[in-house]
Amino acid sequence: MSAAAGTVFLVDDDPGVLRALTRLLRASGRDVRAFASQQEFLGQHDPAAPGCLVLDVAMPERNGLDLQQDLADSGAERAVVFITGQGDVATSVRAMKAGAVDFLIKPFSDKQLLAAVQAAIDRDALMRRTRAQRREVERKLATLTLRERQVIEHVVAGQLNKHIAADLGTVEKTIKVHRGRIMQKMGAASLVELIRMADLAGIRPAPGAPGD
Amino acid sequence: MSQSTRTGSSAVLSAPWRLAIMRKLAGVRPEAWRQALWVAAAYYLGAKVGFAFTFQPHPISTLWLPNSLLLAALLLAPLSSWWLLLAAALPAHLLAELQSGVPLTMVLGWFASNSAEALIGAVCIRRFCAAPLRFNSFRDVGVFLLFGAFLAPLLSSFLDAALVTAIGWGQGAYWQLVRLRFLSNMLAALIVVPFIMTWAEGGFAALRSASPRRAAEAVLLFLCLLAVVFAIFDRHQAGSTAFHALLNAPLPFLLWAAVRFGPRGTSTAVVLLVALAVWGATQGDGPFVGSSVEENARSVQFFLIAMVVPVLLLAAALEERRKDVIAQQRAEIEAKEQRQQLTHLTRVALLGQLSGALAHELNQPLTAILSNAQAAQHFLAADKIDPDELREILADIVAEDQRAGEVIRRLRALFKKGETQFQLLDPNDMVREALDLAHGDMVTRNIEISTDLSPRLPAVTADRVQMQQVLLNLLINASEAMSANTPDERRLLVSTQALASGGVQVSVADRGLGIPEERQARLFEPFFTTKPQGLGLGLSISRAIVTAHGGRLWCTNNPFRGATFHVALPQQPGGPV
Repeated sequence: MSAAAGTVFLVDDDPGVLRALTRLLRASGRDVRAFASQQEFLGQHDPAAPGCLVLDVAMPERNGLDLQQDLADSGAERAVVFITGQGDVATSVRAMKAGAVDFLIKPFSDKQLLAAVQAAIDRDALMRRTRAQRREVERKLATLTLRERQVIEHVVAGQLNKHIAADLGTVEKTIKVHRGRIMQKMGAASLVELIRMADLAGIRPAPGAPGD
Repeated sequence: MSQSTRTGSSAVLSAPWRLAIMRKLAGVRPEAWRQALWVAAAYYLGAKVGFAFTFQPHPISTLWLPNSLLLAALLLAPLSSWWLLLAAALPAHLLAELQSGVPLTMVLGWFASNSAEALIGAVCIRRFCAAPLRFNSFRDVGVFLLFGAFLAPLLSSFLDAALVTAIGWGQGAYWQLVRLRFLSNMLAALIVVPFIMTWAEGGFAALRSASPRRAAEAVLLFLCLLAVVFAIFDRHQAGSTAFHALLNAPLPFLLWAAVRFGPRGTSTAVVLLVALAVWGATQGDGPFVGSSVEENARSVQFFLIAMVVPVLLLAAALEERRKDVIAQQRAEIEAKEQRQQLTHLTRVALLGQLSGALAHELNQPLTAILSNAQAAQHFLAADKIDPDELREILADIVAEDQRAGEVIRRLRALFKKGETQFQLLDPNDMVREALDLAHGDMVTRNIEISTDLSPRLPAVTADRVQMQQVLLNLLINASEAMSANTPDERRLLVSTQALASGGVQVSVADRGLGIPEERQARLFEPFFTTKPQGLGLGLSISRAIVTAHGGRLWCTNNPFRGATFHVALPQQPGGPV
């Protein structure tokens, strides 16, 4: 059905709804795992498995929004489609702000659900790719020396070599050598690629350096 | 206006009084003419009857009706047509009296005293009774007796006797004439005025609308009365003294009329009694056999006045009491209707509060139905038809549809406006139903509900819908009291227990802030609310409902935190709590 495959993790405390949605998703070719409560889901959750979460907002023990928050906090973030029997604006705004893919009001059609699930699985795949890339960059960054780490922060800030040398109290030629080694260790083909990697890894420009 | 008056007044100068009368007559309404004709006819007939009861040598009739007929007519007519009624009585008077060979001066004198009697009575009664006389209150009858039946005959009798002695018609000393005329006119007033006044206003409509049973009772009453009165007053008693004991025999029938048929029936019975009794006396029959016909009539007059006055008063007092009771019943019915409307209104408001949650309750089964059906469509489209799977899907759809139907049914019961219907209810079922209805709301508010329902409870007699209203109200209040709590402190405990008295107590405990002592009493007052959107009617209506069930609704603060509301219900609405 689509390029990105993944499991749909379904959590709803209403057994009738849970059964029906499971059937619908299976009928449309989705791999579904159904859970009647958040505890049950958390107990069996494998963050590594690709796929999205379809989550009922109103559940007796805990709100669906809280689960979304917990997953994000524990680094097991997953694209979420919220479903609710009672759509109030405040809750939907909060859910969307926290990164929900969609917020479906019951009863919804198969098209709405399947489109939202598709979008969520795509989002999940993208998140996974990004996470993998970030981990790769972080791994490479870890191979840099302290000095090289200082240099890269100045490079990201857009400084010329001679200014970097002046800031770090050395000569331009040394900086040139550092830059060459950085490009090699990071596997960057161009300055633009290096800057993108640094951005992905969350490296901030050196303080005091002029921006841009 | 001034213009027309001036041209009119210049024309009047030629024949002033004649034109004044003409204009006056032209302004008389057709209705007043009709009344005048009635008065003339009645006066003439009354006078004829009066002459039939007159025994020479005394010129005073033993039952002189015309004066009282005139008084009744004046009381019924508007003040503006009094002159016409008096004018209409004059030719009738002349006709009747001149036929009987009375001299003209005496005839005119009597007309003066007769009119004076009617006028004195009518003016005084009008002065002291704002509404037309109906003889349905003690005051009505009191005013009539004092002015119409006592003062007017008395004062006019002085005039009458003076005229008779001055003209020298018939025999009799002044004071004797006063006494004779006073008594007979008083008796006439007592029978004629109540009879006419009570029948003139709606009497015939009441007659038409009477049920067959009531009509039969009335006929029986009057036949009995007729028989008794005839037996006592209209048969020759030949001086039997033992017979005097039977004089009061008509009284039970008069009381019957007073109790069952009100002032109208009583006045009618009185007419019958008096007419037959006086007639019998004048024929020399009945218990009052004296030296002359005249004397017989006077004795029976005394006796009848003494009997009629208390009966008329009794009928009025009973009628007054009956009206009070009816007014009180009507007020009670109105209050009950208002209470019911208010109960319904607050219930609708309560459901409005729950509407979001109720939408949730309906959306769940609808979602399941839709998704099941669409899953089946997908299976069919993909040609992956598994009959077992399809069977399950259909079974689920049926079950979910029934679930939605149940929500609607419960809702409809709550929205319905109806009379209180007591039925035997299991208190735990009552609690469970209320919890089902509130479920969506509780979930949305993150309230965790626990129950402690006593397994063996007696059934209570109560109105199911109203009890749900009370419990829902308590549940919503409790959950609102905890809205400021952290989610894991939003806990609600609903418990039931049997009471030693045989009743049942339901308690709803929250973990809110509790209720300060000084507010606990005010909490149940109408329009007292602590919520910004609250009407302040929920608890007052709830208490009214519980009280109507013979139970109690009160609140206590919990030792740890929050408040508990208790509903104690007797097994039977009238039983002990």
